[in-house]
Amino acid sequence: MENYLELLDRANDGTYISEENWDLEKISATARRLVKKYHLEWDRSQVISHDPALADALFQAGFEMAVELGAYCRSTERIIKLRQDEIEDGLKRMRQSLVMGEGKDARTLVARRLGDDHPPLFFGGTPGTAVPERFFLANVISNVQEPLIDLATCGTLTEVDGRTVRTGHPMEIVATRRELEYMRTAIRQVGRPGMGMLAAQSSVSELGDLAAAQERYLRPCDSHLVPMLNELKMDFRNISRAVNSLEYGMINASLACVIVGGLGGGPAGSAVVNVASFIVANLTCLADYHILHPIHVRHVATSTREVLWVISSVGQAFARNAPAIIVADIYPKSGAGTKELLYEVAANAIVNSVSASHLEGCGSANGTLPNCSGLEARLMAEVGLAVFRMKMTLKEANDWALKLLPRYEHIFTQADGNPGLPFDQVYDVQQVHPLDFWQKMYAEVKTELKSEGLLL
Amino acid sequence: MDKDNIIEQISQAVIDGDDAASAEKTRLALESGTDPLLILNTGLMAGAEVVGKRFEQGEYFLPELLLTARALKSAMEVIKPALLEQQSMGVGRVSGKIIVATIQTDIHDIGKNIVASLLTASGYDVTDMGVDVPLKIIVDKAEEIGADVIAVSCLLTTSMPYMKDLIELLKGRGVRSKYKVLVGGASVTKAWAESIGADGTASNAADAVVLVRSLLGSG
Repeated sequence: MENYLELLDRANDGTYISEENWDLEKISATARRLVKKYHLEWDRSQVISHDPALADALFQAGFEMAVELGAYCRSTERIIKLRQDEIEDGLKRMRQSLVMGEGKDARTLVARRLGDDHPPLFFGGTPGTAVPERFFLANVISNVQEPLIDLATCGTLTEVDGRTVRTGHPMEIVATRRELEYMRTAIRQVGRPGMGMLAAQSSVSELGDLAAAQERYLRPCDSHLVPMLNELKMDFRNISRAVNSLEYGMINASLACVIVGGLGGGPAGSAVVNVASFIVANLTCLADYHILHPIHVRHVATSTREVLWVISSVGQAFARNAPAIIVADIYPKSGAGTKELLYEVAANAIVNSVSASHLEGCGSANGTLPNCSGLEARLMAEVGLAVFRMKMTLKEANDWALKLLPRYEHIFTQADGNPGLPFDQVYDVQQVHPLDFWQKMYAEVKTELKSEGLLL
Repeated sequence: MDKDNIIEQISQAVIDGDDAASAEKTRLALESGTDPLLILNTGLMAGAEVVGKRFEQGEYFLPELLLTARALKSAMEVIKPALLEQQSMGVGRVSGKIIVATIQTDIHDIGKNIVASLLTASGYDVTDMGVDVPLKIIVDKAEEIGADVIAVSCLLTTSMPYMKDLIELLKGRGVRSKYKVLVGGASVTKAWAESIGADGTASNAADAVVLVRSLLGSG
């Protein structure tokens, strides 16, 4: 597609299909058929597949789904058909390197291969989490002050100056601009003013996104989200986000939160949908890079066995067949101040890093509470780099994940989850450093992982 | 016609998510004089229960649940006149009416769809209004169909305030006491639900059914 606006024509002129039929007769039925055709199978006893044939078959299945289905426009209830040559062209044009940020703080993301010579980069922050304004700035600082964190991200503001922020309401504009002011202040305060950001997270409709596209807020060297809806769907709100980047030049991060156990069925079908989503997002989201964020249908967390398998399989599928810049998000079930959170982060970081992704996190406590801090982002980066330094193989990473899972899996059956504590109860908010008990817990887990052979 | 056999076939059609078969078998059962309540409880609901359990155990996924809801819906269209007739004669009852919707400004619907499917599978009369549904339209619909429960969901934290606005709108119109208002979604907590004056929330779809049962009685 030479001109992105052509997408709007297709969204208006495409074949009509009800959303229910798209979900069931297109997504579910196609996923089921392709899983069978390509003999894709999730082995419950393993977290990471080290079978290259499976990764290649998964990529082919996802490609076939993208060509066969295209995308769905929810606003018009029509299919946005994408031609095979356009899809192939989109794959060829995927960025192999991308500079984010500016000056000495700029970082270059590369499309990593398995066992790549380039280490993963780390986005530190709490995406998707509603963080109160009273400690929003300190929370961002807790992440961006970490030396291993390369790029900044953040949660969302749901109140500004005591006023509630509602989606699509004028307050969304105020919240998104305020968020960006805090972000810019945070990176200045830690002496990294040129640090690249994935921000405007308070823009849940297109309003905030439009309001933030100014040098004072989101710079062209920063990125914003262009999400897809479950599954393989766009709407005019999300298309507006991509259109907003056309002249201004912001970096587009596609986000498809494929639900594992959702319309694609089990892990294998969901992985197919995720591969197809990225391939389609090259065109529908004008993706400069992709956020890999499959979520569990019941537990949400990215640290469940099923989701870890999907993260690894999708990462491997692209790394082997069409290297892309993929940033795999970490969304643990547990919250700050708990040991389980640190184990979840370690398992996720190992899987994401070994599977050729960059890393982003952490949306601790499933992003439902402000129970998140920079300390777990530090561990994420330390573990991710250890995997790189050790030249960890897929097989070894699988062993590590299997070793870590029993240390936290019980939280998935706990009635109240494992929410932990809010940021201001695990950090000194004025000095922005972890409280003793949280620092000690982190040190214990780190020592434990080191003693078991992780090069931390 | 073997009564047990046709009931079993109805159950199986629901488990298979085969909407054409569930409607056809239900029609055949009615024509052969099978008690509609027996068809409903021992055929349709028993099949739905199997699917609901398999979903909870992680054996089935969302597509199976949605197909089952579709199969139930088509069978219910066939059986409803007979059930209503029985009800007017004082036999049995059609379960509570529930409106489900993703609240104004939010477009996330997977969780809502799961809840709607499980409620349908539990025998409730569910009206799924879709996503981004304006508050006024929700209340108008509830009044129109005489709903017992209004269940709204959202994923976006910044759409949650509209749930409070919904309750305020019901109060403003003087109809709050007519409905049980349930709120749900990833970010909705029990404390928050209580703070806005909702009648309850649940952390997952299965618990949502339990909650509705406790408020309305069995489906």
